[in-house]
Amino acid sequence: MAGNELLSSTIAELAPRIRAGEVSPVELTEAALARAEELQPTLNTFITLLGDQAMAQAREEEAAIARGEFKGPLQGIPIGLKDNLATAGILTTLGARVLADYVPDEDAEVAIRCRTAGAVILGKENMEEFAAGATSNNPHFGPVRNPWGTEHIPGGSSGGGGANVAAEVTFASLGTDLGGSVRLPGSFCGVVGLKQTFGRVSQRGLLVTSFNGDHIGPMTRSVADSAILLQAIAGYDPLDPSTVPVPVPDYSAGLGRGVRGLRMGVPSNYYFEDLEPDVEEATHRAMAALEELGAISVPVELPAMKYIGAVRMAAMSDAIVTHEPFLRASRNDYGPDVLYRTLGGQFVLGHHYSKAMKAQRLIQEDYARVLQDVDFIVTPTTPLCAPRIEDPYVEHNGATHRVRGPGSSLVSRNTSPFNATGHPAITVPCGLNGAGLPIGLQFIAAGFREELLFQVAAAYEGVSPSQGRRPPVLQG
Amino acid sequence: MSVSNETLQAIIRDYNGFELSAEELELVRPEVDYYMEQLAILDDLDLSDAMSGRLLRMPAADESQARKEGGE
Repeated sequence: MAGNELLSSTIAELAPRIRAGEVSPVELTEAALARAEELQPTLNTFITLLGDQAMAQAREEEAAIARGEFKGPLQGIPIGLKDNLATAGILTTLGARVLADYVPDEDAEVAIRCRTAGAVILGKENMEEFAAGATSNNPHFGPVRNPWGTEHIPGGSSGGGGANVAAEVTFASLGTDLGGSVRLPGSFCGVVGLKQTFGRVSQRGLLVTSFNGDHIGPMTRSVADSAILLQAIAGYDPLDPSTVPVPVPDYSAGLGRGVRGLRMGVPSNYYFEDLEPDVEEATHRAMAALEELGAISVPVELPAMKYIGAVRMAAMSDAIVTHEPFLRASRNDYGPDVLYRTLGGQFVLGHHYSKAMKAQRLIQEDYARVLQDVDFIVTPTTPLCAPRIEDPYVEHNGATHRVRGPGSSLVSRNTSPFNATGHPAITVPCGLNGAGLPIGLQFIAAGFREELLFQVAAAYEGVSPSQGRRPPVLQG
Repeated sequence: MSVSNETLQAIIRDYNGFELSAEELELVRPEVDYYMEQLAILDDLDLSDAMSGRLLRMPAADESQARKEGGE
């Protein structure tokens, strides 16, 4: 099979062929590196490309398979890691000039688990500076460009990963999601993005972040591949107190079970209130398709969502605490968007923070109540499609909104609530807008019910109009 | 609701915050305004009953199943 055809495959398709010796991890990694080098000038998805190390790892895995040592479906598969995930002996910049020379001594727990599963680490991926924004328009390493329209953002903050998966450079990339930073690139780049339940995956080695609501999650080209990645990284980590010691189920077991008889919660407030017309139309088409597959629509009310802005208020305060030592030492090395957005947090008063935390609790209770009556909730992932890189503002439904920096919050409007509640949420492509940019559909389930989320998402994926669509950057 | 630049500068001065020039305060201003807007929205929220007073009763498994079968 030629390299380009291999790169178009999914992990689930390749794994049995790698195990059978029909596909070589070395050839696969060579093809992925060649694609990465070809597209780097166009998409700017990597901060560090690990050519020699990736090839050495691929050779090791190929030899292991030849000895009969099969480690699972990730063995020999090239993946990417966002550059805020610690990698021992490898530059880990967080997209920041402040840490431009930082080389950690240890791997993040997820990096260890991926290597243990035999995945080949192709490189460290470009991102928003300090993961603090939704554009991946990085002032120090240059903007990441969207494979579906290179003048558009890929979403952020894990934009390098989303663009790499869409452009068939990596088969999966691990990003981090504090307000939507896996699901936004998933939606804008037309790939699957998962933020699992808070506590399901260790955050150890996720650098310079908030303690409140960050998650490490996979971006992939299929729901089945998302399940494979979560299987590899999920589980209790005794060194990360945020992880929960609950059993890890077989995440692929429910794929193919469909949605017949499942109750689909459709929020009657907030999520459908401020949508771009193409997004609204695609979402309603998707919900109709789910009903045709047998899902039962149930309107649900989430009254406490009126107060969701309080969560962002608390995040302002979290951010200033996180950045304080770096700001004291290297303030002049920050880009202006992240600097001034972060500095706003120093004005949040303690009792307002506490009030925000209580409002967050009310919001969590809303979802706890609703998810006793329905099996899953469906929303558009984003209210709009990918804005242009050069535009700091967008006109949206008659109002002007900031896309990045201080005061920006529109892009993550529909994703950030689930960072506050901790519920698992996944985005799946559900079509293109009039300009040919991807639209995402988001599913949410009760805590630790990722297997149900995969079941629902896979059922929809099978009928999505995005099936088989590839970005223009791959069409010459 | 708004906070004056004088108040923000006083907070920085009295709480050993990060210094901001007048020009920089304008760059931070959208974030502060967002904070104040969200705070105003919280004004009508009674939080006295949040947390334990609002803990939810989980329906028994058979009750939940019956509701689903009833097509509610």
